[in-house]
Amino acid sequence: MTPSARTSTDRRTMLRLIGLGAAATVGGGALAGCSKEAGSQGSATNADAIKAVLPTYKRAELLKPDIPGEGPIPDGYLSYPRELVDAVTEPPGRGGPPIQTMSPWWGPTPPPLGRNAYLGAVNGKLGVEVNPSLQDGLTYADKLNAMLGARDVPELLSAPNWEVDKVARFSDAVKALFTDLTDHLQGDNAAKYPYLAALPSGAWEYSVWGGRLYAVPFPTDGPFAWAMFYRKDLLGAAGLATPTSLDELYEFGKKATDPAKGVWAFGSVFEMIQQYFGCNQTWRKKPDGGLQHKFEDPAFEAALAFTARLFAEGLVHPDTVESKGEDEKQLFNSGKILMYRDGLGAWQGMQSERAKELPTFDMQPLPVFGGQGAQPVIWGSEKPIFYTFLKKDLPAERVDEMLRVLNWCAAPFGSREFELREYGVEGQHFTRSADGTPALTELGRKELGAQYTHIGGRVPVKVRSGDTPNYVQDYIGYYRKHIGQMEQDLFAGIKLELPANWSKIIQPTEDKIRDILRGRRPVSDLAQVRKEFLDTGGEEGRAFHEKALADNGR
Amino acid sequence: MAAPAAVLLLVFHYLPTLGNIIAFQDYNPFVGDDPLDAFLNSEWIGFGNFEALFRDPLFWDAVRNTLSITAFQLVFFFPLPILLALILNSVVSGRLRGFVQSVVYLPHFFSWVLVVTFFVQMFGGAGLLAQEMRQAGLEPWGIMTNPDTFIVLVTAEAVWKDLGWGAIVFLAALSAIDQNLYEAAAADGAGRWRRLWHITLPGLRPVIVLLLIMRLGDALSVGFEQFILQREAVGRQAAEVLDTFVYYQAISTQQWGLGAAAGLFKAVVGLVLILTANKIAHRLGEQGVYSKS
Repeated sequence: MTPSARTSTDRRTMLRLIGLGAAATVGGGALAGCSKEAGSQGSATNADAIKAVLPTYKRAELLKPDIPGEGPIPDGYLSYPRELVDAVTEPPGRGGPPIQTMSPWWGPTPPPLGRNAYLGAVNGKLGVEVNPSLQDGLTYADKLNAMLGARDVPELLSAPNWEVDKVARFSDAVKALFTDLTDHLQGDNAAKYPYLAALPSGAWEYSVWGGRLYAVPFPTDGPFAWAMFYRKDLLGAAGLATPTSLDELYEFGKKATDPAKGVWAFGSVFEMIQQYFGCNQTWRKKPDGGLQHKFEDPAFEAALAFTARLFAEGLVHPDTVESKGEDEKQLFNSGKILMYRDGLGAWQGMQSERAKELPTFDMQPLPVFGGQGAQPVIWGSEKPIFYTFLKKDLPAERVDEMLRVLNWCAAPFGSREFELREYGVEGQHFTRSADGTPALTELGRKELGAQYTHIGGRVPVKVRSGDTPNYVQDYIGYYRKHIGQMEQDLFAGIKLELPANWSKIIQPTEDKIRDILRGRRPVSDLAQVRKEFLDTGGEEGRAFHEKALADNGR
Repeated sequence: MAAPAAVLLLVFHYLPTLGNIIAFQDYNPFVGDDPLDAFLNSEWIGFGNFEALFRDPLFWDAVRNTLSITAFQLVFFFPLPILLALILNSVVSGRLRGFVQSVVYLPHFFSWVLVVTFFVQMFGGAGLLAQEMRQAGLEPWGIMTNPDTFIVLVTAEAVWKDLGWGAIVFLAALSAIDQNLYEAAAADGAGRWRRLWHITLPGLRPVIVLLLIMRLGDALSVGFEQFILQREAVGRQAAEVLDTFVYYQAISTQQWGLGAAAGLFKAVVGLVLILTANKIAHRLGEQGVYSKS
């Protein structure tokens, strides 16, 4: 909208009117003339400052993996150990009061303490009561923002990285609200908590704010941001070939979509299409120095045009078009969409749950291919999935007690602690299949809710289970095949606090991109969108990111 | 006896109102030792937030959308509960009336998520209507995704949800009208329509005017969830209202000062509208929200 002369006069008049009224209310001549722009300018913590406070890494391995992970890929185990060991010999609790926790969960809320056998069993081992509060992961930000603003946080708070990144002035919040863990965990001090010391340094690096260690990370079990999942069983049954190029992907969409049967080829796919076209997640270094934003990359425009065509030709399920895509998992499970993008973390749970009703159910990540002459790029980073913060102003003994609890929660695979945390109590929450692997029961699915898992970062492993027999090989195989295509995180180990003007343009720009995707604006409007983006905060963001890189000598 | 109510008002309405000072601050909730400290220590920036707000074309888009929806609903939604109340009132059978009332009240208790899902399942591209049309060889049209008709869609949803609820007040007002008047008028030979025009509507007029004034005071609030849920389907141009603007530009980017400025703007405009409408009502000889001393 271009504002007309008339409305701008109205605006000035309005401003004067409101100004007068408000000034009269507050009664201050103090306001006069001190009008200034609000918002943070952003800040970046140097990578060297971060290295100095990290815990000393010490691997804790109880069992040799069958498929050793490489770098950020987790270790794989193809059989479940017959003999478990005690990883923690002394109960971590010191008899302190119950520990209040809050963590996200994407599913029905488990029963609370007192009515939850799983909580009872784990708390019995801990020697201190943990009283969790689970919040819907989809709306976690709303709860988190309100808590931070009111400075009313639980003793243990688990916050997903993508929510933390959105909180403005988070480094201020961290200092005001959470315990500085540096003295407890820096260097060899971490040896007191051996399973926390075993968490990868790549994950700890992200837990530093203002040069101090403030959180225990929950390392990612695979660095890729997204994968394109497809219903291998349905494609096979319909005689459709697995697409290996963008042209084939489009052809697949045409053939598979059948509205009369209520079947559409695609759910949300745009993020994956961008990766096929070789488009970076945000910034890329230009050959002559400086940074290029992905909107300036012709690959982004090509990906946008390709995906807009899928929408225009009705190959995307109407529910995805009409909502925010919350129901895609159900649509995919019931075969109403055949392909959509999701985090790789969704895979095992969906496969095991759905296969109980439909034994032929087989979801697989589509191998990544390049688009129209371009090399694909896979988005990802070693950023931990969650951070666990301890409330500020706790006595040192309490901090120690809580870190010991987190240490217990981080006990590695092959221990009794791991089994209890991950699967609950045998016979109650899981049954052991013939080959010894635990399979969750209905009660297990209902009660677990990752209530201890999400607060204590564990070293991720992939374990073969009876209900998903091929998952470990498939998962690690997919990663090994594609890890070489993952983009380098230019900012790995640099803590960025983004400027307010940058945060502000994200949503409006996303709105405009979505308008193009959904066909409300032509693809040719991208140039206009890009210009508006760069003018209203994009250039400021570029300068900020370039400076952060320069300061770190990259 | 009024003390608890007064305390309630003081604690939950008047005290929090003081928080509006953050509209004039670059408010940072994390400075100082406690939330009160944060108010005192945040930087004072005068009208910076208001300037940023009024300079933002997105804000004016949101204001325009909000006002369009208010105006549209004033014409196409506001009279409907009155009509429904009149119809229900003329139903003689008490059981039938009770049944119809229950059915039309019920959707009021559904959340917006449910209402929107219901509409998607009925009228969406994979919904009942679309599937029926495909069976019949017709091409379904995008009821849920057309930005141009979005205003009709949200009004239809609001009518479905709140029509019955809105009729309650009018039904109560109808039952307060003296039945003798009708009998006397009928005896004098007044027909159905004359009785409606000369007895029923004048009897309802004070309530209608009161609700109209209150609705005007809320002109800049048209709801939040309904719009945020359907925003992606029709785009920002059609679905951005003031409350979603505040959510995206102030709450989710933690520009609390900007959000407070937008809220204050809403409150001031609402107050001006209420006072104006009330004045007009007085001129026309109505009681309005409060009577003239």
